[in-house]
Amino acid sequence: MRTLNLVLAVLLLLTGCAISGVSAQTSSDAAAQVTVTGVTLDPGVFIEEDVGTITVEITNNGAESVPIRRVTMYDADISILSSSYDTSMYLGAGNTMTFVFTVQAGVPQGIYYPTFSVDFRNAGYLRYPVELRVENDPLKISVLSKPDTFAAGKKDTVVIAVGNPRSDMVNGVVVDPSGNGLDITPSSYFVGNLGSDESVQVPLTITPSDNSVLTILVNYKNGVNNHQSSLQVPIRLGASKLQANPILSNIQVVYENGKYSVTGDVTNAGLQVANSVVVTSGDGATPVAPYQQYVVGSLQPDDFSSFEVTFTAPDNTSTIPLAVQFKDADGNQFEQTTMVEIPPASTGGGEAPGFPLPVIVLLVVLAVVIAGVVWYSWRKSHEPSP
Amino acid sequence: MEVLIRPDAFFSRIFAGEVSLKVPGLIAIVGAIVTAISAYVISGPTVKLISGAAGSSASGAMGLIGAFGAIGGFFAFLIGYWIIIAGIFHVISVIFKGKGSFHRTLTAGGYGLIPIIIGGIISALLALYYIPLVKVPVISSFSDPTAVTRAIAQLYADPAMREFTQISGIISIIFLIWSANIWIFGIKHARELSIRNAVITVGIPVVLLIVYIVVTTVFGVGIPGAA
Repeated sequence: MRTLNLVLAVLLLLTGCAISGVSAQTSSDAAAQVTVTGVTLDPGVFIEEDVGTITVEITNNGAESVPIRRVTMYDADISILSSSYDTSMYLGAGNTMTFVFTVQAGVPQGIYYPTFSVDFRNAGYLRYPVELRVENDPLKISVLSKPDTFAAGKKDTVVIAVGNPRSDMVNGVVVDPSGNGLDITPSSYFVGNLGSDESVQVPLTITPSDNSVLTILVNYKNGVNNHQSSLQVPIRLGASKLQANPILSNIQVVYENGKYSVTGDVTNAGLQVANSVVVTSGDGATPVAPYQQYVVGSLQPDDFSSFEVTFTAPDNTSTIPLAVQFKDADGNQFEQTTMVEIPPASTGGGEAPGFPLPVIVLLVVLAVVIAGVVWYSWRKSHEPSP
Repeated sequence: MEVLIRPDAFFSRIFAGEVSLKVPGLIAIVGAIVTAISAYVISGPTVKLISGAAGSSASGAMGLIGAFGAIGGFFAFLIGYWIIIAGIFHVISVIFKGKGSFHRTLTAGGYGLIPIIIGGIISALLALYYIPLVKVPVISSFSDPTAVTRAIAQLYADPAMREFTQISGIISIIFLIWSANIWIFGIKHARELSIRNAVITVGIPVVLLIVYIVVTTVFGVGIPGAA
């Protein structure tokens, strides 16, 4: 009987061990059916010091639920800001679970592999290295076109391009131009998303009042992280190579009837149209009727028109300025001044001098001789013919 | 020479016999040639003004303009100063019951052109002195009519041009009076008029012509065919 009991006890022990071994084998098989089915990084590519999230999705492809003790992520370089999932849970057959970890890439540019780890209860671990790229390339700003020189008060266009050399898109891109003494339109330009290796052109209309620096700030987001790129463009005032250039020529000055009359041609020697061209006398002269001002109108490049202005000037004035006012296509007013010599008022410039003495003598002699001939012919007409 | 200083006796002798237009015609042609030369010289500044706008490529055409001026002057003198004036004399003399053919009037008119030709030669010589002194305005294009008009006005307002125009006008009037004196005696004999009627016949168109010369000289406009 005692022998029988012993045999039974051994059999029970062996049976228990067998059952226990079968149970452990079953848990491992079930855990092996759990796989990582998705990894999402936000942002897709980090910039140094960026904070973002890594979202890992696992799926139980088996027919049994799998008990999970702990889910965590760890890495020697990448900081994991969020806590591990320490709560025991079951991942049911055919179910999917998502785990999100907040990380900070306080590391230099490079590729890193923080490890996603799932601790199965009595069935080991699932470890999955997640690729995390860190690139420090900022958005690039370039000037596509701008005038060689700017003119004070004249509107000109600067076209910039914002390009994304990064491996992933950035979002919330906003161009903010600024500068002292600069009237800029638009004051801000919203671009939005800018994909990898894409660029966008932004035309800026600049009206400077003085020499200045145009600062172009491009604010953008990489995930939840704000970043900024900038470019400075010097704005130098000077004579534009293209702008209209009215030149006065063929100037004739005549003093008559108590006033000066200046006539001449005004030619547009520039490459742009001069609108609303007006010629008038400048400081030192007092415009008088009938031509206080002479409205020429519009002058195309290389076109010309005549003008006439009348004015009075104080005695002993030898030069007076002639002002040519014109506008560009945007209505900006310009003025060019040309100094013109004027003859003394007392000499009556333009009047023909008297006849030279030899000519007067010639005319008198001719008149006398012919008068004599006529008188002689009449005297002889009363005499009978020989 | 007799026609210049004793026209009465000259025409009395000429019209006593058969008249010929050969000599009067030759005189008119000489006068036309002198006028053509003068016109060519005087048109120099105008040609220069136009060529400034037309460019150097048009220099051949500019030479043609001078030639046209000369030809115009030639025919203006031949027709205007000889045939038309003789015709006016002939028509006016009809009022005074003038006799004699137009052939005779043309003869008298032709001989009377000699003083005008002398005056034309003197004016041409003066033109050779004055015209080079004229400052020709510069115009770069004909696209602006106002500029062209003003340039031409400036040309005629040039002191040298004005002085020449005035002297030329005075000389024209002086020698026209001399020619009128010859025409009076010529018409008297050609149309068998009294001296009073001959003076009226010649005086009316000559006075009008002198008025025209004075007016155009004051305003600086050239007289076609005038010396």
